[in-house]
Amino acid sequence: MNYFVSENIFAFNSGTEHSQAKRTRLFNKMGANAKYVTRDYNRFLARDAVALGLDHTQVLNMYDFFQGRTDTVRVEQPLRLLKQIPLDQYHIVSDNPNYSVIQHAGVPIARVNVMPATVGLVGDISYYDRFGNTTVRENWDWRGFKSSIDYFHPDGQLGVRKILNAAGDTVIEITHMNVDGKLQATMWKLLNYKGHNFRFNTEDQLFLFFLNEQLMTDPESLVISDRRSLDYVVADVTAVHNKWAYLHDIHIVDEKEPLKGRLFEAYVPVLESRAKDFAGVFVATEAQKQDIKRRFPKLTVVVAPDTVVEQPRLDEGVPAASSEAHHILWVGRLSPERRPEEALKAFATVIKNVPDATLEFRGYPVSATYLTELKQLADKLGVTEHVTFDEYVTGDALAKRYKNAAVLLQTASGEGFGMTVTEGFSYGVPAVAYDVRYGLKEQIRDGENGFLVHDGSTSILAARLTEILTNDAFRQTMRQAAFDTAQTYGEATVFKAWQQAFGS
Amino acid sequence: MFFHVNATMPRQKSGIEHAELKRFKLLNGHGVDSRVILRDWDPNVHYNANDAGISDDQLINMFDYFQEATHVSAKKLHVGDLDFGVLHTKNEWEAGHNRYLVTTRSGQLVARVNVDATDDQRVVSTELFDGFNNLYRVDQYDRRGFVSLSQWYTPDNKIGTETWQTPSGRTVIESFNRANAVGETNKSGWRLTDKQGKVWQFDSIELLTLHFFDCLNDDFWSDDEPNIFVLDRGHLGDWGLLHLKRPAYVVMHLHNSHAGDAQDPMHSVLNNHYEFSMNALDEYDAVVSATHKQTQDVIARFHPKTELFTIPVGVVPNSQLQAPRVPVKDRTFGKVVAFARIAWEKHLDDLVRAVGIVHQTVPEVSLDLYGYADSSDNYKARRAVEAAIKDYHLEDVVSMKGYTTDVGKVEDSAMMYGLTSRMEGFNLAIMEAISHGLISFTYDVNYGPNEIVEDGVNGNVVPYENVQALADAMLKVLQDPDLAQRYSTGAYESAERYSDANVWAAWQRLIADAQHKWPTKLAALPNHQEVQD
Repeated sequence: MNYFVSENIFAFNSGTEHSQAKRTRLFNKMGANAKYVTRDYNRFLARDAVALGLDHTQVLNMYDFFQGRTDTVRVEQPLRLLKQIPLDQYHIVSDNPNYSVIQHAGVPIARVNVMPATVGLVGDISYYDRFGNTTVRENWDWRGFKSSIDYFHPDGQLGVRKILNAAGDTVIEITHMNVDGKLQATMWKLLNYKGHNFRFNTEDQLFLFFLNEQLMTDPESLVISDRRSLDYVVADVTAVHNKWAYLHDIHIVDEKEPLKGRLFEAYVPVLESRAKDFAGVFVATEAQKQDIKRRFPKLTVVVAPDTVVEQPRLDEGVPAASSEAHHILWVGRLSPERRPEEALKAFATVIKNVPDATLEFRGYPVSATYLTELKQLADKLGVTEHVTFDEYVTGDALAKRYKNAAVLLQTASGEGFGMTVTEGFSYGVPAVAYDVRYGLKEQIRDGENGFLVHDGSTSILAARLTEILTNDAFRQTMRQAAFDTAQTYGEATVFKAWQQAFGS
Repeated sequence: MFFHVNATMPRQKSGIEHAELKRFKLLNGHGVDSRVILRDWDPNVHYNANDAGISDDQLINMFDYFQEATHVSAKKLHVGDLDFGVLHTKNEWEAGHNRYLVTTRSGQLVARVNVDATDDQRVVSTELFDGFNNLYRVDQYDRRGFVSLSQWYTPDNKIGTETWQTPSGRTVIESFNRANAVGETNKSGWRLTDKQGKVWQFDSIELLTLHFFDCLNDDFWSDDEPNIFVLDRGHLGDWGLLHLKRPAYVVMHLHNSHAGDAQDPMHSVLNNHYEFSMNALDEYDAVVSATHKQTQDVIARFHPKTELFTIPVGVVPNSQLQAPRVPVKDRTFGKVVAFARIAWEKHLDDLVRAVGIVHQTVPEVSLDLYGYADSSDNYKARRAVEAAIKDYHLEDVVSMKGYTTDVGKVEDSAMMYGLTSRMEGFNLAIMEAISHGLISFTYDVNYGPNEIVEDGVNGNVVPYENVQALADAMLKVLQDPDLAQRYSTGAYESAERYSDANVWAAWQRLIADAQHKWPTKLAALPNHQEVQD
């Protein structure tokens, strides 16, 4: 079995989760059993995993495991059919689609919040006391069962969360108390696990216990730590030895200083302090491998693919050319290190020559403030009419966006691997990006499937974009080249590369 | 089913518990099944109830009922049996505190384990700490060896949420302590998850108790006969039992004077315990008083339409009624006894004074007081007794004997019994005294003494708080052996009023009334179908 270890699967995922999910799917498809392992308590995991194309056999969550819920399938639980509400005593009053109120003799005694994005399914139930305080909150899993119960401190902050099994017994208690005057979770207590209780001060200690319990049954397993925040936990795992870390990102703060530049703090454990606890690290590119080897000669560094293009996509070939010939797509998290500002600045120049050009951002912002700042910048640059900031999408919805685009714009300050670039290629979308370490340099062949532009030069960026948008014949050539590149990331090729990676 | 409703069954019982236990045993003796319903949470409730003669089969505690713990085989837990989820802990005994300190290998406190040092160091409660030295929870153990109540602490070290579990650890009852709109912390609600998984929310324990009564009424429902609820403590259900979902036969049992000043039953402010029930009198199916006098006073003041029953709360066992009688000449001449707590309401200093007056004429008189001294106001009642002893120089005449269980032996050798209380609900002690042939002297005090003692038959009833009259009555008996023997014989015979057969007959009248009214109550139910053969 292969275990790919991460924190969570979110509603909005970053490249790390996407990469990990693609790898999990590929391995299972190729007959090498793999599980996407997550630490966090997430009532929506089943829904979010499906959004990443994973079914319950491919995901293993710590809380699910202790709850005995790993095989539970979804059964919709409408709030009006909830057996726990004595409807011969209480009324359910629904004044809006988001929540209903349980009343006794006209007095509200509880509020049932509807499961997000459903019609009338139970999401959570908050019970009130006679003063109107929330006393208990019952949290329902997406799969339609009561998963946990919260009690609160007098000021309304979470006091204790009890995680339940199917019988309704508490399997984990998470206590929140003060440390240095600040309320935080101070204890994870695993109850009656194999007949004993186990107390932990941190969630990661519980996670380590869980990993060892799981891996003990399968000591020949391979473990890949996909999240830098969990490297120290995986390093502590004793049940297996074949432990690796996949470095999805650039490990140095300044991409121009690979040998002497400061390491990102999160990379210190796997590259330095706990390096000996790993069999080695995987990176996406030969260039990153060489940089790491030169700096940390004792490390085993192996190149392994960070993405895969699924066969059905390749089978369809290059999609018909976009109807919106002058549409630029930018995909990714709206965050400073991805520099969406650069895209706006370059675009402001593009529309001078291509007045009907449009730019679409697709991704979730790191904060509402940051999104506002970007919108203000668009305004200042006078491009607001041509720019959209659209919600994060995956799957078919995202495919549609790629099919609509003439060119993909990538402005990151450094990348382990540009997954969206390869994704764009698979839809015949050429990419324009800055020439920064590591992945983009290898993925984009300047002038063939896109352009690499000297870092920070928005005017050249704009020129290259304009060239692709305005020269239809050239664009058609590039589309084919892009698609050809994507074919080198096909399932068989990638899996073979992984097999070689393991063999090394 | 016949339900006796009370709060709990403590080791030190008051008259109410004694009265209830006598009724419970009377019913058992006559083949009538009943249940003792105890409302309050009490980790020792089964132990104490079993000790009082109530088996688990006939005991239903409200918390137990919802905790699915009515029948649990007891297991004595010791500190070594506990699992704190921490490896390699060390237990250190703190003798002065009757507790163990459980620490990690590095010396950090994991728990304090409080034990009962008188019971083989049985675990009573645990105070649990997290890894950051916060007390986050106190677990209270049921005496049968499981965590019954968990008290979750707030960051400022107060009890926040309280949860009650089944023996297997599933939470079924929660209660909350929260601030109201002006910042005062109160019990703010109760939440119940029942066996069917239904979740109920109650504003107060009274509403939870009412739900519990409804559950009992359903569980024991019969179309053939009503459930009878006898409420022995008003606060548990004087309101609730009037609001049952389905009918039952609800009995309000008076155990004390309904009037705040028992000597002024017509006009004084009502005894707070009965103020509600006296105002809602006609809503009960029946009201029970232990004495005819109280029944008459209730009628005179409230003119109720509901059924009133006079049923003594004491029963003199047949063995005592048939026991050989001890003639006065074989008793210690002049020995007066009293069995009562030395407390303000018992006013025993007056009895000492009466004996003091008698002593001036009959030096052989003596007084033995049996009972605990009440500690209120720094033993004020005992100090009053001691002052009276000093005033009359009775140091060699009056003895405070403390508590005894050998009542029969003491009463078979004494001659007289004295009672000078300010008020009474019945007074089992003086009933027991006449059954042993003691000549009884009492103030004319409501309720019980002035009915159990029949003036000129088994002793004398003298005007309330008239010490001289009490002394005169005693002197008359001490100076007239024939009169003494006549009163003693009268005492033995007057005890017949409290025979098992007589008290049982009184309860049978009540049960018959319940039965008689049942068809009407059933007929009033919507859509009720008569059961056809």
